[in-house]
Amino acid sequence: MTKVYRDFWGRKKIHALTNLNLTIERGEIFGLLGPNGSGKTTTVKLLLGLLFPTSGKSWLLGYPSSDLKVKNKVGFLPEESYLYKFLNAEEILDFYGKLFDISKKERKERIDRLIQEVGLAPHRRRPLSQYSKGMLRRIGLAQAIINDPELVILDEPTSGLDPIGCREIKDMILEFKRQGKTVVLCSHLLAEVQNVCDRIAIFNKGTLQVVGGVKELLSQKDVVEFLVRNLSDADIHAVEAFIKDKSGDVLSISHPSSTLEEIFVKIIQNHS
Amino acid sequence: MVILAIACHTFRDAIRKKVLHVLIGLGILIMVITPFIPTSGEPDARLKMVFVVFFQVVLVLCNIGIIFLSAISLPREIEDKTIFGILSKPVSRMDVIVGKITGFAFLSALLLAILSLLNIVVIQYAASGIPTEHRGILKAREEFKPSNFSIRGKIHHARGGIAWIEGEKTGVAVWSFTDVNKKEGYRYSPEVELNLKLESSKGFTDVIPLMIGMENPVTGQGIAEVVPAKLDESLTLHIDPAIIQKSDTVNISVFPVLKTDYMGVTPEDVKIFSAQKGFASNYAKAAIITFFKFLLIVIIAVMGSTYLSAPVNIVSALVVFLCGHVLDFMKDFSLLIEHYDIHEHILPAAQRNPGSLLIYVDYLIKKPLEWITFILPDFKRFDCLKFILNGVYIPSETMRMSIGYTAVYAGICLLISSLILRKREFF
Ligand SMILES: Nc1ncnc2c1ncn2[C@@H]1O[C@H](COP(=O)(O)OP(=O)(O)O)[C@@H](O)[C@H]1O
Ligand SMILES: [Mg+2]
Repeated sequence: MTKVYRDFWGRKKIHALTNLNLTIERGEIFGLLGPNGSGKTTTVKLLLGLLFPTSGKSWLLGYPSSDLKVKNKVGFLPEESYLYKFLNAEEILDFYGKLFDISKKERKERIDRLIQEVGLAPHRRRPLSQYSKGMLRRIGLAQAIINDPELVILDEPTSGLDPIGCREIKDMILEFKRQGKTVVLCSHLLAEVQNVCDRIAIFNKGTLQVVGGVKELLSQKDVVEFLVRNLSDADIHAVEAFIKDKSGDVLSISHPSSTLEEIFVKIIQNHS
Repeated sequence: MVILAIACHTFRDAIRKKVLHVLIGLGILIMVITPFIPTSGEPDARLKMVFVVFFQVVLVLCNIGIIFLSAISLPREIEDKTIFGILSKPVSRMDVIVGKITGFAFLSALLLAILSLLNIVVIQYAASGIPTEHRGILKAREEFKPSNFSIRGKIHHARGGIAWIEGEKTGVAVWSFTDVNKKEGYRYSPEVELNLKLESSKGFTDVIPLMIGMENPVTGQGIAEVVPAKLDESLTLHIDPAIIQKSDTVNISVFPVLKTDYMGVTPEDVKIFSAQKGFASNYAKAAIITFFKFLLIVIIAVMGSTYLSAPVNIVSALVVFLCGHVLDFMKDFSLLIEHYDIHEHILPAAQRNPGSLLIYVDYLIKKPLEWITFILPDFKRFDCLKFILNGVYIPSETMRMSIGYTAVYAGICLLISSLILRKREFF
């Protein structure tokens, strides 16, 4: 797919997405990764039919994404919590439940369960206008899965959440996978993606740079990293000398850092 | 189901808006103080005032509130991006539009019901201070238009669609009515209402004697009597039920008694009112027709909101609303000019003809407006006040026309909305 935003006069302005060609397998947790403005949200909106592609087509669960029926099996958490602030947690979930034609009894059951799951039980009768950003995120997540979807699309689910909240969301995402749901996760938080996703795609400026399994992407076959405890400086120098002697290249000797971050930065820098 | 959910949600969102509370509060306040405003002249002026204020002020305020809310509802959702939450569900874009319209239809119906009931209380209160014989407008008489109109004898002259007849039986104007007594067992003796244009060449007189005959042409039964008619006032006479008992046709013939008097007539000048029906049902009819008026403007406002931003849409919806009514005013204005020659026998010639400038202005304003009515809704079709104020039963035709008009208009608006929405992207 390609998406070009046009300005008021219909002139082409911003190439938000260029020739994206991507398949996400059922049952996997797929990360859409990229810096701000790289086209992740645009991709998601195209998938949901909120935007129309300038060229190309997309399918959800085998149906064209313009098909309304398929939305019954899809859940979506927008980038920010765009919710009706005058309703309370129960009412808003009930409203979204009605949009799926879920029966009254079933709705009530699910709402009770979901409110428990996202940890909002003590606040279920408070209007959303009194919620903190993190609480809104949780209720947003709850509405995304009110229809028990097969495919969950989460756009930056942990934005605005504290580390504990992030952790809980991560656990919930892993739980979705266990239930056999497919999860598409947009994020610019690498640690989050690294721990959770099976495969990732890295976007930059609207073009897809890399797709692959997290493990494959992270393992660099020609690089060997030693992780040693309690080694004296003299011994470190000795090891360094030994490797040089074996015609190896010592790139660095340091404490390991979040390697996805390195890859990410490298990819983004290489292409800009 | 989905549409209903959106409708309920829209309704809930709307009823908590302060604009609505303020306008409704103001409306109720005005309604409640109306019976205490001093009125002059006719004994039923107070009742008329209550009706006019209700239909022209209270309901207009209420309507403006609803226009406002329906105009901003969808743009708000798009601006706040809450629309994402709806459209990412199995909800079509038209579902959203129809849901919104339904929600505001609920709101209109509820407000109209509450305000109308409250107004009935106010009417009862206002009526309690008026002697029974002056509570004529709290009736619902059925109106009959003449099936035939003719002038026997000489027409003195004709001008502007009005035929003038000189007195002393040189000419007799005859209006024929059929089917005036369709219903069995009526409990109301029919009335004839005459709105004739009368003049005397003698100068200033208040009263002109008219010879008025009421005759059943089939049975030959009838009476004729001289009735003093006041200038510029309508004349109401009762028809003896015996005349129309066997055959429900009647001819009304009129001529001025004195040679010096003139009478100007058109086919619409005489009407018969018969078979009184319940006031409450008439009032309910008026409320229903008003509901369709509300619905129409809601549909227009929601249609606008598929393309326009909130402030622009409010302004455009209000302009449409205003134009629909100003158009009435313009028609009245041109009517005023046409009727300028009523008193031509008294007025000096210089004042008799409207200035050519006036005609020119009238033409300049009226013609484009006439074209605009093809596009903009004509709210004159929903005017019930003229019936209520005369105590006339609202004909079912008026009811059918207003509903049909709304339906056709709604169909076109929904079509346009769906065409716009199909292309619309939500950023
Ligand atoms: N409504 C819009 N009009 C014009 N440009 C837009 C619009 N929305 C997003 N963009 C541009 O499209 C690009 C991709 O945006 P987005 O998909 O939101 O990025 P991400 O979600 O990855 O942060 C950005 O350059 C952004 O400025
Ligand atoms: Mg984004």
